[in-house]
Amino acid sequence: MTQDARPPVLDAEHAAFVQGGVTISVSSRDAGLRASISRGVGCRVSADRRRVTLFVAGTGAQKLLRDIAATKAIAVCFSQPSTHRTIQIKGSDARIAAAEPGDLAIIERQLEARIAELVPLGYAEPVVRAVFHADPGDVVTVAFTPDAAFAQTPGPNAGRRLAA
Amino acid sequence: MWLTLDAIRECFEGAIPSLVATCAPDGTPNVTYVSQIHYVDAAHVALTYQFFSKTRENILANPHATADVIHPLTAAQYRLALEYLRTETEGPLFESMKAKLAGIASHTGMAGVFRLLGSDVYRVHAIEHVPGKALPAPQPKRNLLAALRTASDRLTRCGDFASLLEAALESLDALLGIDHAMILMLDARRGSLYTVASRGYPASGIGSEIPLGVGVVGMAAKEGTPIRISYATAEYAYGRAVRDAAEKLGMANMLETEIPLPGLATSRSQLAVPIVTCDHATGVLYVESPEDRRFRYEDEDALVAIAALVGATIHALQADEREEDAPQAANAPAPVAGPPVVVRRYAANDSVFLGDDYLIKGVAGAIFWKLLRDYANEGRTEFTNRELRLDPSLRLPDIHDNLEARLVLLARRLEERCGVMRIEKVARGRFRLCVSRPVQLVEVAG
Repeated sequence: MTQDARPPVLDAEHAAFVQGGVTISVSSRDAGLRASISRGVGCRVSADRRRVTLFVAGTGAQKLLRDIAATKAIAVCFSQPSTHRTIQIKGSDARIAAAEPGDLAIIERQLEARIAELVPLGYAEPVVRAVFHADPGDVVTVAFTPDAAFAQTPGPNAGRRLAA
Repeated sequence: MWLTLDAIRECFEGAIPSLVATCAPDGTPNVTYVSQIHYVDAAHVALTYQFFSKTRENILANPHATADVIHPLTAAQYRLALEYLRTETEGPLFESMKAKLAGIASHTGMAGVFRLLGSDVYRVHAIEHVPGKALPAPQPKRNLLAALRTASDRLTRCGDFASLLEAALESLDALLGIDHAMILMLDARRGSLYTVASRGYPASGIGSEIPLGVGVVGMAAKEGTPIRISYATAEYAYGRAVRDAAEKLGMANMLETEIPLPGLATSRSQLAVPIVTCDHATGVLYVESPEDRRFRYEDEDALVAIAALVGATIHALQADEREEDAPQAANAPAPVAGPPVVVRRYAANDSVFLGDDYLIKGVAGAIFWKLLRDYANEGRTEFTNRELRLDPSLRLPDIHDNLEARLVLLARRLEERCGVMRIEKVARGRFRLCVSRPVQLVEVAG
């Protein structure tokens, strides 16, 4: 398997960053190359860092989920508001995946981290909770293999490919 | 499409970053945060183009994009189907987005990183409300439409320029809760704006000037568009910025620098709207606040409507500037007493000093000097607007120039700086110079 011969796109620090309660934005596209979008509520990275799993609120992400099912294309933006540090990860094998025990705890933990990050910046806690809310029964799990990752922090290095 | 863009304008205040997703021709999607999605009109928005990015590369090849915006108070989310149309790199849209971005940049610690290269204009094809959790909208503090109704009634009843200025600023305070405001009029020939009225400052700053194109006030007049900033930003702060710009433009000598601009030391919200008379920006209504995000789209709507009423009323008053027959008071100077006041006038820029104290310069200075000469040589005290307009020595700029505004400026400076002379209105188009001490006129050449 040539895929496994390559080092993972994400290094350990990237994996910690994307699971640290940063904001998550997920996009895909349809057959007509129209992009779809949804905010994510959590992220889990496999131990070997070759698989990224995202959680989205399903009712607000129907077009995105249809597009992922149809085209498997995905781009995810992770951003830390206090530092503006932003990375984007892209993949081409995205699919709806099964939830695992502990996923809801991950979502809850990352939500609390996000609140701790955003409230000191002046965002009202009820607004943050509402924006990143997902009913447990509505959480949909999407998993993909990162093909590439890019720095996206505003400034001269935005768009540079990250070396793992 | 059930929702209109107007109904979700709060989402475009820049309080919560928006998301934009695009797709490359090879089918690779891309998603990014944007610091500002700007409401252009009921069918268009504009995004900031700050540096060449994947988003930009994508939309140039495939113009369809999807944006996700959030209402900053209710957390309601909306998704917009967009189509890229064009990029504007100058003009009203560009300048209003540049100013707004400067506020966002300084608020988020990105001053010097965020820099507007262009305004990317998109058509909005569809707006979708994203199902999800939302909070109830907070109760508004006041009804701006009702406030506007009362203000319009007050403004359109004003019979002269001075009471119009007063009514406008009083209405902002009493009806809209805006207690730091000023009105500046355009001096098109000199490319500057001069303050004719202000409210809510320790010193009125009447007579102070701003070059056209500088700061939110100068840019609102230059581009004929509202300029609104929701956070403190050094880039659009007054005082020093205005002086620096004046020097750069070589206007230092001509620009009024003796009279400091009124204005808050730290303005956290600024809004300037042009006052338009007969299709020309003739002045600016400027408001500010020490609070972040004090002025929203609806405040901008109300201010634009009030400025339009001020502009239309100015036009109506100018068109109706025939002199009224006032009872001819004895046109003889009242008796004067006390030591003489030395009034010096420097011909180079028409600046006038009372003793050692600076009073005024420019057109208002030239008018004052003419009044004093006629008073000293002929004993005249009553004058008409018409004779000032016809007097070639005053070189009044053109018919669009608001002579009433110059007279209000002069009258207010005299009120503030001089206890010996004042100007009072006798009737429409007529006024009187009142002098209580002997005056000695000294003309200084050059």
